[in-house]
Amino acid sequence: MIPPSLRLTARNLIINTDPGTLLFLIGLPSFYLIVLGLMFQALIPNVFFEGHSISYAQFLSPGVVAMQPFIAGSIGGSMLWSDRRWGMFEQLLVGPFHRIDYLLGIIYVSMIFSVGGAMLMFLVSYLLTGFVIHYVVNIILIILVLLVSSILFTSLFLVLSVFIRTIQTYNTVTMFIFFILDFASSAFYPINTRTPIGLRIISYANPLTYIVDSVRDMMFASLNRSDLIYVMIVVVLSALFFIFAALSYRKAKI
Amino acid sequence: MLEKVIEVDHLRQTYDGRNFVVDDVSFYVSKGEIYGLLGKNGAGKTTTIRTMTTILPVHYGKVRILGMDVSENAERIRKRIGVVLQNESFDFASVERNLKVYGMLWDVPREVLKARIEEVLEVFDLSSLRKVRAMELSGGQKKRLQVAREFLHDMDLLFLDEPTVGLDPIMRRSVLNYIRDKARKGLTVLYTTQIMEEADYLCDRIAIMNKGKIVAEGTSSDLKAKYGDLKTIHVIISGELDYNSLKVKFPEDVIVDNDEIRIVSKNVEDILPDLIIYLKARGIRIERISVEESSLDDVFLKVVS
Repeated sequence: MIPPSLRLTARNLIINTDPGTLLFLIGLPSFYLIVLGLMFQALIPNVFFEGHSISYAQFLSPGVVAMQPFIAGSIGGSMLWSDRRWGMFEQLLVGPFHRIDYLLGIIYVSMIFSVGGAMLMFLVSYLLTGFVIHYVVNIILIILVLLVSSILFTSLFLVLSVFIRTIQTYNTVTMFIFFILDFASSAFYPINTRTPIGLRIISYANPLTYIVDSVRDMMFASLNRSDLIYVMIVVVLSALFFIFAALSYRKAKI
Repeated sequence: MLEKVIEVDHLRQTYDGRNFVVDDVSFYVSKGEIYGLLGKNGAGKTTTIRTMTTILPVHYGKVRILGMDVSENAERIRKRIGVVLQNESFDFASVERNLKVYGMLWDVPREVLKARIEEVLEVFDLSSLRKVRAMELSGGQKKRLQVAREFLHDMDLLFLDEPTVGLDPIMRRSVLNYIRDKARKGLTVLYTTQIMEEADYLCDRIAIMNKGKIVAEGTSSDLKAKYGDLKTIHVIISGELDYNSLKVKFPEDVIVDNDEIRIVSKNVEDILPDLIIYLKARGIRIERISVEESSLDDVFLKVVS
């Protein structure tokens, strides 16, 4: 017998894997990587990172990889929203599942989208820059970070979709968060002593910064103690957001 | 004695802590029985169903489904029941994919599912719509899909909350027959409707709810017998009628619906001449007049009013 959460995962995958979703998942980061990566290369020929000189496109690659859990999370949140819109939320709650299975079904799909999207971004990055990760252990660690990050962002968007009533508001809020988290992080530029203090504080309050930094180190440098701290921060935030999402979901109006 | 599949004991449910939308409701349903829960909008039917199907917690009283307390065994209960909710629900996919996914959610073995999908597509007249997206279906077609998919999985008890809304009379009869056939094979059904003919045709026993309480219960014949000394005068009129003065003149149960007057009473022989005189005196033309034995509709009107 297939566990209920996996049946719900399969259902979510079947119902939500449409061209629009895939375009959002893959199209936007690919656009960043190809257009920004190549365009800014004229302005920033090389970035000095952890003792290596890498191209700007290479520097950007971990940023777009780390964006995948975020985008997948927003898709996860919209799944709950549309299930409520089309009446399936209540129908599934009277189905052969525990309530937590429904949440897990969405989180698992976000994880699949997140890791699948990241693999495609690695491919795009390779085609663009010719860079490959040499150590399997680093690839495994990146996947683990992406999986944990998926819990964080999916939980965040599940909370939003519980409280937001219209899809227009949901989309607007998602885009707003998307821009803040994306651009106030280390995805596009390094955060260092030259970064204004206010923006530095905002960037370090942004979980995406820790995800990008740890993925970047796993791609281009050797792992160090700060990466362990970054990963721990992501794990703790994911746990907190998951608890918050589970509590909010109990209040979700049917 | 037949096994009790549903046992509701002094159930009271409230949304705001003060007003009880379900107020001291008790009933039972035996195995293989089709039990009708009737009532006008806001009578408490859907809240009762939502409690029995574990969506809402029990506030006061006891509810046992399939021998298990709903407060303690919600998940085990949900594995053995089917629920057709009043509100429409479907996945954003074709009719066929909706059915396949729903069957998969219930872990129906692939071969069994394939056969059952073909069966319900046929029974619910959805074969020609199998490739159509659910959101593009008409209201009645969506309802058919909603009812059809519930028969894909095995269950001991089926809750049907107004499942025939939007269906044409032929399809409605076909759905009712299908449900009746399943009940003969041992399925227990709790059925809510506002269409009395349906309840009369389908249900073994009926409870009428009003303002959160069960105000009458029994078989259709029992109810008609109990309130059966009632007869209904139907009058079709043309002209302006003062409802309040009519109500004063005939304090029996008078219902005026546009140009139709219905009076349910034990004493139609006495009332009828007076009514004709009353209408003529006010210059109201009588287009048609008839006296009928009580139907379940009349029983419902009598009990609820």
